[in-house]
Parts: sequence; structure tokens; C-alpha cells
Amino acid sequence: MQVKEFKIKWGMVIDIDKCTGCGACMIGCQVENNIAPMTKKDPYNYVQALTKDRDDPSNKLRTLTWMNIYELSNGQPYPNHETAYLPRPCMQCGSPACVPVCPVVATDKNEEGGIVSQIYPRCIGCRYCMAACPYHARYFNWWDPLWPEGMDKGLSTAVSPRPRGVVEKCNFCHSRYLDAKDKARQEGSDPMNLPDGAYVTACTDICPTKAIHFGDLNNPEHKVYELSRSKHAFRLLEKLGLHPQVYYMSEREWVRKQGDNYNAGGGAHH
Amino acid sequence: MTVGATVGILFTPTVWKALDDVSIWTQNWPWIPRLKYGENKAVATVSKMCESGCAVKVRTVAGEAFGTMGNTENPISGGGVCPLCANGVQVKNSPNRIKSPMLKGEAVTWDKAKEIVAEKLAAAGSKVAVISGDQTGTINEVFSALLASKGSDAFYAMPCDMQSACKAWNGLMGGSGQVGYDMKGADVVLLAGADALESWGPTVANMKAFADNEGGKFIFAGPFQTKTASVTSKWVPVPAEGMAAFTLGICYYVLQAGKSVPAADFDQFKAMVMSGYTPAKVEAATGVKADAMAEVAKQLLTAKSPVVVPGGSVGAHAAAFALNLLLGGGMKVLPEFAKAVGSAMSRAEMMKNDILQGVNADLLFVYEANPAYVLADQVKAGFTVAFDCVNTETTAAADLVLPIPHSYERVDDLASPYGLPQATYTMGAPVCKASLDVMNAGDFVLGLADLGFESFQEVIDAKVSAIGADADSLVEGNAFVLDETPDVSGVTLAASVLGKAASPVKGTGAVAVAPYTLLNVGTANQATTPNAPCTISNNQLVGDKLVVMMNGTTAKKLGVSVGSKVKLSGGSGECQALVQLFEGVMDGVVAAPLGMGHTTGDEFSKGKGDNVYKILTVSSEAATGASTWAGSTVNVAKI
Amino acid sequence: MDSKLFPEGTQRCGLGKFLIWIAVILGFFSWGLYAAVLVLYNGIGTTGLDNYFGFGAWITFDLAVIALGAGAFFTGLLKYILKIKQLEKIINLTVIVGFICYSGAMLVLTLDIGQPGRAWFGYWHPNVHSMLTEVIFCITCYCTVLIIEFVPLVLEQKQLNKIPFIHALAHNMHINMALFAGLGAFLSTFHQGSLGGMYGVLIGRPFAFREGFFIWPWTFFLFVLSAVGSGPVFTVLVATFMEKLTGKKLVDFKTKALMGKIAGTMLCVYMFFKILDTWAWATGYLPSVGLTFDQMFYGVAYGKWLLWTEIVICGVVPAIMLVTPSIRNRPALLYTAALLDCLGVSLNRYIFTVQTIAFPAMPFDKWYVYYPNWVEYASSIMIVAYGFLVLSLSYRYLPVFPMETKLNYQSGE
Repeated sequence: MQVKEFKIKWGMVIDIDKCTGCGACMIGCQVENNIAPMTKKDPYNYVQALTKDRDDPSNKLRTLTWMNIYELSNGQPYPNHETAYLPRPCMQCGSPACVPVCPVVATDKNEEGGIVSQIYPRCIGCRYCMAACPYHARYFNWWDPLWPEGMDKGLSTAVSPRPRGVVEKCNFCHSRYLDAKDKARQEGSDPMNLPDGAYVTACTDICPTKAIHFGDLNNPEHKVYELSRSKHAFRLLEKLGLHPQVYYMSEREWVRKQGDNYNAGGGAHH
Repeated sequence: MTVGATVGILFTPTVWKALDDVSIWTQNWPWIPRLKYGENKAVATVSKMCESGCAVKVRTVAGEAFGTMGNTENPISGGGVCPLCANGVQVKNSPNRIKSPMLKGEAVTWDKAKEIVAEKLAAAGSKVAVISGDQTGTINEVFSALLASKGSDAFYAMPCDMQSACKAWNGLMGGSGQVGYDMKGADVVLLAGADALESWGPTVANMKAFADNEGGKFIFAGPFQTKTASVTSKWVPVPAEGMAAFTLGICYYVLQAGKSVPAADFDQFKAMVMSGYTPAKVEAATGVKADAMAEVAKQLLTAKSPVVVPGGSVGAHAAAFALNLLLGGGMKVLPEFAKAVGSAMSRAEMMKNDILQGVNADLLFVYEANPAYVLADQVKAGFTVAFDCVNTETTAAADLVLPIPHSYERVDDLASPYGLPQATYTMGAPVCKASLDVMNAGDFVLGLADLGFESFQEVIDAKVSAIGADADSLVEGNAFVLDETPDVSGVTLAASVLGKAASPVKGTGAVAVAPYTLLNVGTANQATTPNAPCTISNNQLVGDKLVVMMNGTTAKKLGVSVGSKVKLSGGSGECQALVQLFEGVMDGVVAAPLGMGHTTGDEFSKGKGDNVYKILTVSSEAATGASTWAGSTVNVAKI
Repeated sequence: MDSKLFPEGTQRCGLGKFLIWIAVILGFFSWGLYAAVLVLYNGIGTTGLDNYFGFGAWITFDLAVIALGAGAFFTGLLKYILKIKQLEKIINLTVIVGFICYSGAMLVLTLDIGQPGRAWFGYWHPNVHSMLTEVIFCITCYCTVLIIEFVPLVLEQKQLNKIPFIHALAHNMHINMALFAGLGAFLSTFHQGSLGGMYGVLIGRPFAFREGFFIWPWTFFLFVLSAVGSGPVFTVLVATFMEKLTGKKLVDFKTKALMGKIAGTMLCVYMFFKILDTWAWATGYLPSVGLTFDQMFYGVAYGKWLLWTEIVICGVVPAIMLVTPSIRNRPALLYTAALLDCLGVSLNRYIFTVQTIAFPAMPFDKWYVYYPNWVEYASSIMIVAYGFLVLSLSYRYLPVFPMETKLNYQSGE
């Protein structure tokens, strides 16, 4: 698939040298996007009660973490060991692996801004997109979303809770984009030329070290424009040609090296 | 016929309507909550779930709170929120909230509760004590005034770095006010045991300072490569019990470079360091290479505005303060805000009592603290009254449980969280109405004794006017900042005490234990929150099993490997854990996360992992007499 | 008791014995049904699948049975279009096996997708660029074709066929069977291919990604070839298994050997291209994205032994066995080769499904090992039980094997 280019290209530049892996972004994301806490019991389903519990949050392969944090290591033994944290939202690829494979057009990259959408009411839950995404940015609703008693009253209006059986992922808090455009229209400014900071994601907002920068990668007035062009910037798996709209930056070479494959071990004993 | 019927049915709308309906049903199951729309607002207030408290804005829709965001205008937040407070609304709405006053497990009315407490209070005489988990609130003034009215000074804070700092600065060194650190303005920041970017002090403000500090160099010294160490330029492995000696080792180079302070005991201090804490001696005692100390000292000496941020024992704090005074950099001394309640204690007085040495009272008030979880053995009381908004080990063990409103439902404040470089006051007004039968602890206490106020709101109003702040600006979420420096001329370097206190003392177990706190795992007083468990890494928890980390060399020595089940025994108890290898841990050290192993609470924290507080050893630091967990060791047995 | 229903001139076991046999099958079926109910009622969380392994045992099972069911379309193609007369002796069985495989696969798919109520969206909101859309189209259409091919066989049931209308209908359908065979061959080729294409297009999955011809990656063609290289011998295996079970000769060995020859030839072509493809992938594509061949494998679960087993033991070896007349014409060796062949293609489908997504593309990520749980096994076994059920009923009541009477009851005369 060809790279889809848009006039506006929303993107992130995440400064790994600033990220402490505290997890605030992951929690902010769940709250913004109405992701239910992982509860073991399903009080509405007696068959569930008779069989095994739903998943434990420590099973990292069953969580719903649109924003996920990976721990990086330089692989050296003590005392030369170094560590870093890499937050991983959806990369909103320019040439997404997931979009062309979806049989029902439940995910698309067709809107100005270049955000890869996910249409929950259309998703049939085949999980082909998950198999396609090398970043593991896509998550499946293995169970029904259930909030512990009383907790469902405080829900965000950003997005409806998804039923079980559909795939979901980060969409750069798309409703915030709509809100920002609406606000611009009301104020008589150009919704297609939002100033830096008029639209940011929940994770960007909440990050205590401001490691996440968000903006239009094509707009020189946005900070990400310059940051994404810095010599310390890199993207994940650039060699595969997916053209992610999420950049990372680090002054540490070993961190940058973890962003892609470099025929590790020099081909080893091949 | 069948074919005909099929074709016929296909021409009717039945099938198509049914298919359409199916696609609608599949997204509208009755058990999936519907959204309620309305006006979106963000209301400024404070959140007290983390130790220092966060300045936040609570996001509401149609008046119902749903989320927490940072408060860009407030220096405590700068726009960020810690992972605990980020989940504040979810805790507010949690089924784990206490719904009404409970007397030994039975629901009672507030009148009844008040009657009982009044009776106990009258009977207890001066044998009344308070344990507060709040480090920054004016509520402590109310509690301490209550104690004063009964002739008691038994006010206890939960063990914290602010207490060690107070004991060192206001106690040993004779300083006044409160110590703070300018991490934003400093060009070299030595975090000597302070996990400042993860759990120490005003974490969010520290992180913001770190982010804003262009070109500043951060160095972390500690036994384990914490999350803070993942972003600092350097990690210097230093055992927790050796932190004071390490700091004095750096003082050696600084003194050698000719630095001095006009303190009365400077000469004594210099002599003590130059003879007792030479790099060679410190290396012998702590294992930290002299070169490493020389390198750190060089960086501090060449910096324009260096600052050393201590963590750990009282001795380690005093050593760091002495080093800061020698360097003359970014350590600040903050004035204490004027009191609202005249008979209340000052902050230094509140920090004086050492809870680790034990509490014994006829009547004990516990406010938003969880001593039953952290200090199971130390606290004894004839009758315990626990104020909290959620069920904890302490409320489960208390005789009387009094539910208080959640942070977002009450009036509260944050007066100079420890570590901030400036005296900063932030107020929080209720964002939403309390939905449960709760009462502000301040209101309850003011109803017990005549302290000159009718309600806690009045106390806050008095506080605001006493410090000279503008109430309207505070309500909007702005902080009131007092830019004064108290007189520090009489400060000494505590040379006589420090010489003995800094000498490392370690237990006799097989390996040292490096306990650490992650805010998404929880703190001493606050367990993990509903959305946080999926953010907790498998380096802390796998299934229901606690995970401890050690490096490959240590594991080999102990004969364990990744995934080994082990029993750690130390202090007065044992923990079960799984082993994870992490090369960011010093040789002979096992890093264990605090905050898990709750026996009361919701499904997100109860039964998850094990309680590492059980295996910590309380020891009394030489000369200072202060209790510390530094130097705790454990024995590790494979099971 | 039900002997009047038996095909003309055949003998079958007693009804009691038959019912016991059916009960055993239903036992397995019910176990799988319970698993299926759990999946549909509680959610797919009941399985061993997870966010790293969104595809697993079910998809492997689907792909394997669809490949093995390829005997139907390919034999149909050869018989009706290329007019290889001898194949009519086994054509009915290939149709039934094909029908079982495809309808079974569709049943599994309804469990596998999270929102079975929305399965029809594949038609309503199709994404023409998706290989899976092609699969959905072809698989449903071809399943219909297989039903149409299966119906005349049902209509030829001795008692049913006495009804003049049905007799005429069956006859007419037979006449037009070439059309359906052609249609089936077209549909089936495409979806066998698009199943392969599904993996080949995964640009983010270096283990599976392949260059190709026009819109089709090489895996498209490899999957077609491997299917026709194994489907025919799977039918032979089914026929032989039924012979062992019933104690009767159902298909003459000459036909079986012919099927073996057909599959063997195709398997040779397949292996040639498969080896070429693997070589080009390992030495061309992988280095171009900074990876090495060795990095594609991990431990025992995803070790190289899988690939070697697939290509050598279950690929080259049966290919040689099947194209060598002296080996092919000895029953035991033919069956061995057929078995290896079928194992090889199933293994290929497993590797492409699971190892593709097990490989951690991000350098800081790690390999996870996927284990299906009992729910996935049970529901797959349900489909196997369903196959046994259809075959048992077909064998007992339908004239599946045209040679049966000749081979069993007239040989002595």
C-alpha cells in the first residue's frame, strides 16, 4: 500500500530520555477512553460465574492498554546496565499494515490528519489487523467491559464503551480533535490550521515529565515538526516501511538502536 | 418448495430487518453502560492520594466527575498528574468506599459515633494519640490542636522522608523552616537516595522540574536502578545504609577544594570528614569506588548551582544538608506558613515523634493512614478511630470507622509539600457532592472540642487569611507562593552526631533488601487503583505473586534463577516472591516493591503480591537515635 | 431395520451397532458444543488466544482442513473439465470431504470472530483490498457450490430417488455439474490462494511477508499448490480409513494411486517453489529489513526443526515417494507418503499462522509461546466429530462409492 499523505499529519514525538515509565499516561488513556478496570467476575453472566475467572491484569497479553509501556535494557550486566522506558501508542502509520487487511473497512486512514480510525460498531472481531500490526498496538475485547458497582457513572464522553468481541486501539483521542476543530470554528479561526497545543491527546496532557509531544508533523509552527527532524529522532521498525507518525527521540545510541533491526549479531553463525 | 420459501422470505424485509437489528444489538447490550452527555468542565482542586498530594483539575460532564487532569497554572502540577491521582475519580466511585460510620463492623449513625468518641475522649485524659497519613493538610492543625487541648503531644506522622529531613534540619542542625530543592534551576542534581522522579517528595513537581531543566545533569545514587535512574545521566550504585557515608565522602573532596560555611562547628565537621570519611575509608565501608565519588564531587564543584537531594535515614539527610551548605547551590529553606489554629503544632513538632518506636494510647485517631498495613507491630491502642474514605487494613482493625469524603468531595489544602523549592499553598474545594454518608474529619473533630471553629471550612478560611493569600485565586486552582527565606545563620553541621550516624550498619541476612515505591503500585497509605493494575509490570507482580529483582551474580550466589519461588525472611516476618533478574540492582541486594500484599481492599489490591514492610528491619541510627529501615537484610530460601 | 434405505446392492452393519457408533461421535460433539457455548456466551476470553496471538489453533485448523478439502475442487476440475474418467470412482467422496471441510471451517470461523452477528458485514461493507474479504467471498460461495454438488448425491438416495421429480432433479443437476465444478475450481483456487495471500501481505510481519506477482504475494500461489498437492491424497486417506473401519473395499487401488500421482506431481511443483521462496526470503528479503534467518526461530516451540520437518520430511520425501511409481504403487508406502504430505501442509499452515505472529518484530519485545487451551481443542474436535457424523450417515445411506458392489460382492462371481 502506498503511503497516505495528508496536508495535516498528527503525530507524536516521545522523548525517551524524559520518560520514567510511571504509568500516568496509561491511566489517563484508560479514563479518557472508557476502558473498564479488569475485573475477574461477571455479575451479569451466570455461565461465567460457573467457569474460570476473567483475566488478571498481570497477564499482559490480555490487557486493554492502547498506550503501553515497554521496558528497554542495554543488555549489559551490573554495573554497566542501563534501562529506558518506551511508551507505545498506535503509530498511526502512513502505510498501515492493519488497514488494507480489514475485510469490512472497520479501520481506515482516510481523514485529514492521518489518524487511523477504528469503527467499533463495524468490527467483526476477526483479529486479522492484530496479526498484521507489528507494534501490538491493537487490542481485542476478550470479555465484556464491566465496571465495578457504581463506577460506571463517571464515564468520559469521548467514546462509548465497546462491547466484547471487537478490536480497539489508540486513535490519538480523536474526539479531542473534533472538539478542537469545533472550538476553532466557533472562535472563527481555521479548524484546518490549529495552533500548537489546541489539540493534544490525554497521555500528552497528563505526562508529568512532558515526554510526549503532540502536534502536526507537517506544520513548522508545531514543536513536533522540528523535534521529529532532530538527529536523535527515530521511528520504530522504519525498515518495514510502515511510516509511523509516532517518533521517538533519545540521545542514547543504544536506545535508538532498539528502534529497528540491524542484522543483530552480524548474521551470527548463519 | 423450500427453495421457493427461501426466495420468498428473502423478498420480504424480515431477514434484512433482522440483520440490521443484529448489528444494532451487538453494540447495545444492556450491561454495557450508556454515556451521559452534558456540559464538560474542568474544576480545580487537590488530590491527596499520593504522599505529597497533586494539584489537579477534575473533569466533569453534566456535573458528574469522570477524570483527572493536571493543573498547568499550579507549580505542584505544571500540567502533570501522578498515576495514583490520575485514577482519583475511579477511587471516588469505587465500591471499596466506606458507606457509613461503622462501630466494630456494625453501621451506626454519626450521632452515635460522636457520642462514643466524646465518651472515649473524656475517659482517655491525655492518653490520646493521632496518626496522620496527611503530610500537607491543615487538617493536621485541627488534630494537633485537639491533642493540645487534652494535654497530649502524641502526634505521629507515617514514616516519610519529610520526617527524616525535619529531624535532621530542625533537630540535629538547629535550622528553622523547611528544606526544599531547586531541581529546575540547578545544573547538577545529585539524587542521593531520593527516587525523585518516581515516588519521592512532590513527584509531579520534581518531574516537571526535570523536564524543564534544559541541560541540567541529574545523577542518581542508590542501591537499585529505579525509574528515576532510567532517565538520569548517571546511576551511582550506593547501598542505602551507606548513603550518609557516601555523601560525606563527597564532602571530603568538596572540603579539599576549600569550600567552607560559617557554621559554628565547621572545623569539627571538617576534621571529622577529613579523618573519618576519607574516600578510601568510605570505599571500604560502602563499596562505592573512590573514583566514583571524586567524579560526582567534581561535577558538583564545577556546577554553578548544584543541589543534593537526600533520601533515607536522618543521618543521610544531615550529611546531604551539610554538603548542600558547603556547595551553596540549589538547596532552599522555606518559611512555614502561618497557622490557622493557634494551639496547633508546627510542622517540625508534628514530625518529632517517631512512630517506628511504637505508639501506645487509650484513644487513637488515625487519619487517612494505614499503620495496620505498614507497622503492624508498633501501634497499640485501647480504642482506635479510623478516618478514611476507603476500606484498608487499618479501618478493618479499627474499633470505629468514620467515612470521610474523597478528596474531590471535600475542602482540603496542600501546604508546602516537602521538597518544593518555594513555600507553596494550594487549596481544594469540593468538585462534586458526596454521595455517601460521610463527614469531613475536621468537622467531626471540631465537634468534639472547642478549638475556636465551627467547621473545617472556617479553618481553611482562617488559614487562607493567615497566610495572606487571595481566596478567589486559590479556588481557581492557583497556588499562593511565599518567596521568603528564614534566617539560617544559626545552623550547625551536626558534626558530632554525623560522625557516628554516617557509619554504615547492616543486618546479618544473606542479602540487603532495597525496598522501593512505585506510585502505580501504591504507597504506604494508598493501595493501587482500579485502572492501575494493568500498568504494573511483571517485574513487580505476576499473577498474585510478588516479584523481587536481583542481578545475575546475586542470583547465582543464592542459587536461584528467573521465576524461582523464594521466601524472604527478615524483620519480623516473611514474604513469598518470584525472582526476576535485573542487572540494575547492586550485587548482594534484592529490590522489592512496597505497597502490595493488602489483606483488605478491592480486588485490585487485595491478595496481590506480598507486603514487603513485613520483612524490613527497624534499627536505631547511631547518635541520632532515629529509627530507620536502611540496612535491612533478608535471608532468601528457595521454595 | 433401516436396510431399505441402504444404497442399492450393499450391506451395512446392524442399526444398534451403528447407533452406538453415532453415540460415541455425539459424545465428542457435545463436548465441543459445550466449549462453543462458552465461547459464544462468555466470550473468546475463554480460549488460549491473546493479544499477541489473535490467530491460533482455530485459524490453523481452518486453513489445514480447507487445504485438505482441496481434493474436492481439484478432483472435480480434473474429472469434469479435463475429463479424467477414472476419477468418478472417488469423486463423490471428494465432494463430501470437501463439504465437511468447508462447512466445518465456517462453523469454526463463527466461533473465531468476536461478533458472529456481524459476519455478513463482509458482504455489506467489503474491503476489496483485503485478502480476507476474498476468503469470505470465496469460502461462502464455494461452500454453496459444494452443497449444490452434494445435493444430487443425497437425492440419489435409494428411496428418495424413487420419487420422479427428485430423480429428474438429480439427473438435471448431474448434467450441469461440470459448470459447478468449474465454478468451484475457480472459487477454490482463489480462496486457497487468498488464504496464503493473507499472510504474504503482512508487511509488518517479516516472517510471512513476501513479494509477489501483481497483487498476489508468492504465498498466494504456494498455498494453492500445497492445497492441490495434498487434498487428493487426503481423500485417499479418508477412503482408506473408511475401508479399514467398514472392512470393505470402497475404492480400487488404481484410483488411489492415480490420486497419489496427481498430488505427488503437484507437490513436486510446490516443493520446488517453496524451497525457492524460502531461499529468496532468507537471503534476500530478511537482510533487507535488517534481520537474519536465525532470528526467525526461537527455542523448541518455534525452532528450525519445524521448518525442516515441513520442507524435508513432510515435503520433499512424500513428493519423491508419490511421483516414483514403484513406491506409489505399494499401498503401505502410498499411505505413508499421503500421511506425511497432509502433515506437511498442516504444519505449513500452523507455521504461517502462529510463528508469523510469534516473531517479535520490535527488537525490545520478546517471543511468547502460544498454547491452545481445551476450549479450542474441544471445538475443533467438534468439527471432526461433525465430519465423522456426515461421513457415517453418507456411507450408510447414500451411494457414495460407485465401485463398492463390484469390489465387494461381485468379485467372487
